[in-house]
Amino acid sequence: MTSGLAVESLTVRYGGLVAVDDVSLEAPTGRITGLIGPNGAGKTTLFNASNGLVRPASGRVRLDGRDITRLPLARRAQLGLGRSFQRIELFNSLSVRQNVELGREGVLAGSMPWRQLFSRRSEQRTVAAAADEALVVCGLETFADRPAGALSTGNRRLVELARILAGGFHMLLLDEPSSGLDDRESERFGAILTHVVREREIGILLVEHHMELVLSVCHYLYVLDFGKLLFEGTPQDAVRSEVVRAAYLGTAA
Amino acid sequence: MRTLRRRVRALLPYLVLGLVSGSIYGLTAMGLVLTYKTTGVFNFAHGAVATGAAYLFYELDAKRGLPWPIALALAVALIALLGGPLMEAIGSRLRRVPVATQVVATIGLLLAIQGIVVAIFGAVAMPFPAFLSSRTVRLPGVFVGIDQIVVFGVAAVLAVGLFVFFRSSRTGLSMQAVVDNPDLVGLRGTSAVRVRTVAWMVGLATAALSGVLLGPSVGLNAPFLTLLVVQAFGAAAVGGFASLPLVYVGGLLLGVAAAIAQKYVPGHQFLEGVPSSLPFAFLLAMMLIAPGRLARRTTGGRVPPPPARPLPPVVRRFGPVVVVGLAAAVPAVVGTKLPIYAGGAAYVVLFASLALLVRTSGQASLCHAGFAAVGASSFSHFTHGAGLPWALGLILAGLVAVPVGALVAIPAIRLSGIYLALGTFGFGVLLQQLVYRTHFMFGRSGPLPVPRPAGLDGDVAFYYVILTIAVLTCLVIAVLTRQRLGRLLHALADSPLALGAQGVDVNVTRVLVFCISAFFAAIAGALLAALSGSVDVAPFDPFQSLLYLVVLAVAGSGQLRAPVVAAALLAVVPAYIAGSDTLATYEPVVFGLSAVAIALAEGSRGELSALVRRGAERGRARIARGPAAARLERAT
Repeated sequence: MTSGLAVESLTVRYGGLVAVDDVSLEAPTGRITGLIGPNGAGKTTLFNASNGLVRPASGRVRLDGRDITRLPLARRAQLGLGRSFQRIELFNSLSVRQNVELGREGVLAGSMPWRQLFSRRSEQRTVAAAADEALVVCGLETFADRPAGALSTGNRRLVELARILAGGFHMLLLDEPSSGLDDRESERFGAILTHVVREREIGILLVEHHMELVLSVCHYLYVLDFGKLLFEGTPQDAVRSEVVRAAYLGTAA
Repeated sequence: MRTLRRRVRALLPYLVLGLVSGSIYGLTAMGLVLTYKTTGVFNFAHGAVATGAAYLFYELDAKRGLPWPIALALAVALIALLGGPLMEAIGSRLRRVPVATQVVATIGLLLAIQGIVVAIFGAVAMPFPAFLSSRTVRLPGVFVGIDQIVVFGVAAVLAVGLFVFFRSSRTGLSMQAVVDNPDLVGLRGTSAVRVRTVAWMVGLATAALSGVLLGPSVGLNAPFLTLLVVQAFGAAAVGGFASLPLVYVGGLLLGVAAAIAQKYVPGHQFLEGVPSSLPFAFLLAMMLIAPGRLARRTTGGRVPPPPARPLPPVVRRFGPVVVVGLAAAVPAVVGTKLPIYAGGAAYVVLFASLALLVRTSGQASLCHAGFAAVGASSFSHFTHGAGLPWALGLILAGLVAVPVGALVAIPAIRLSGIYLALGTFGFGVLLQQLVYRTHFMFGRSGPLPVPRPAGLDGDVAFYYVILTIAVLTCLVIAVLTRQRLGRLLHALADSPLALGAQGVDVNVTRVLVFCISAFFAAIAGALLAALSGSVDVAPFDPFQSLLYLVVLAVAGSGQLRAPVVAAALLAVVPAYIAGSDTLATYEPVVFGLSAVAIALAEGSRGELSALVRRGAERGRARIARGPAAARLERAT
């Protein structure tokens, strides 16, 4: 049993449309796994099924070997599955620091009413420490007191990442984190990802269109097309693969 | 077999009645859904427009002596042609504000229109001029009025016409497109503004026409006609707030079900509220059967609410102390007006509990009057009825409302924004219709006696009792919102999705905040009841919940400041204005229009800040491209 996320023969249907068709993949901890494919290939749907926003028609989702297919969103997060969104989801009226703090605060609050009402003093220290560290890792110290809604797209992506890092999840699903970033920003983003995976032994499943970023940070790649798994292998193999070129790289270049 | 046939025959007149009113409900609901789908703004004042039209028709036809076809055409045309552009101007700003603010604004409109009608024509219901022939014709098994045939026919033909218009005319098709992407419609040479204006005109015209058509059967009855919006959204629920034909069918079902219920109600007291609570039964049923159809709409493209303007530190630290000090000195100053201040203190409790829901967690609750009613009536049962000590009775009264709050939170789990507002309002009306009159609450034997605490029953002593409770409530809420719950609620208001993805079970959070809010609202209800010595259903009309929400919106920002200001506005200030009797009639108008104005100001601010942000991003992009590019751009 490996730790990390495993998707087994997953199928998701929207009405008559098959968005994800019998896909299996593994994203173990300690490495960055890329998931690429043209628009509408089913990448975000696969994410949504993995973390409980969409119910799959068949197949399983496992986290550290445990079947989480039927668990609700919050429960999966409590087990260590973190998630960022293609359309950045921040708490816009709160400050950057409050956003990042809520990363850990949320996991601690969980599902029990009493835990949602009050925090213990020791927890408050944990929250502050986790937020401090995440802010430093993402280089957001100078923005800590700014309202999150007022930042640029690049920094908003970083705030979302910092919030997930503060949550202490060991498996992250990142949905197109570099969209809206310029080259310099996405390079920096990639460096942060590589850093946290090495330091914390966490796993990342990365959906991304920015091929430079994918090729430079991912250890392993899956390619989806029309809901089906088209290819899996190292990034080097992917670049060489005729199938992948035809379906994806060819059109992107 | 024969008895069955006789039974069916006995039902026929009710079926006719139901089809006639149902046809009108269906038409109104189609108008409501059409505007909602096209403009993105749900118009709570849809029924109030019907009220306005009915009275306008009455003025033109009965008082000015115009022939009815002209009066009808004039009333509908005036409302549609003047109202359409006005509502588009309002609506275009409302699209930028959070849904809770949208709800407040259109409810403000509702209160204002109804308030104006009542101020001009009086609150007493009047007979409506019977403008259609009331001769009857005999159909197989039943006599049908010509007026009934005409009303049914007109509504049905217009409904079909509306559907055809929406499906095949160029403007109608643009309406479907404008919801999805206003800019795209603009590109194709159709002005989104024009399309939305037409949608408003069509919606308003259906409302106005429905008001006039319903008039003869219900009379000039402002609250009743205003509640037409309730029938409309019951019908709209059947169509999933989307399918126009189904919406019309929903209207027919609603009308028929209500009429047939009417037949069986006499003689069964507990069924009395059934006909008027049917729309909510429909809504709740839709929520249970097909929750997907009422799925949460994302709030994309909306600006975050303005952060509460921080006060200077001195004011923040000493302000509460000064306010409490002043409040403590009130009995020495105000003389016989003291009970008014006692009421004000009780309202602080009510508004603080409402602010916790609306302000902090961004959920619109429209059944606070219901929570207060639960508190007031059960407090009487505990103290006067069961003889429990006063303080214990008060806490128990609060606790009784907790499961009620949890029950109301169920729609909050599935719905958000506008549907949540409708669901909670519906719950308030259901409570009033089905439970207020049972012996669990107020019963039917006159007002319930409500005691004051023994030994503290003088006006001054009791004022201090209420003040103490108000201060305690504010302290508890201040502590809660500063603790983890407060942070979770603020986050919930911004993005429930992100909060859930961080591991918080947001449904637990929602239920929790509704329970806490209901608890304090019930305490407030009990205090208000004890203040007046006895309590009946009148002060807890569901419309009061609308007024509470609007007054709180007018009272400005601040977790605790707004409740204090709101209580003062509602309970204390009117007592100091000369001729406060006439003022009382205009009160809903003033509050309603203020709420609209505030929402509009917020919408315009949103426009501004969006502009500023776009400008900043452009500037940033320019800098990223280097000085030469920036110079070049400046030069061109």
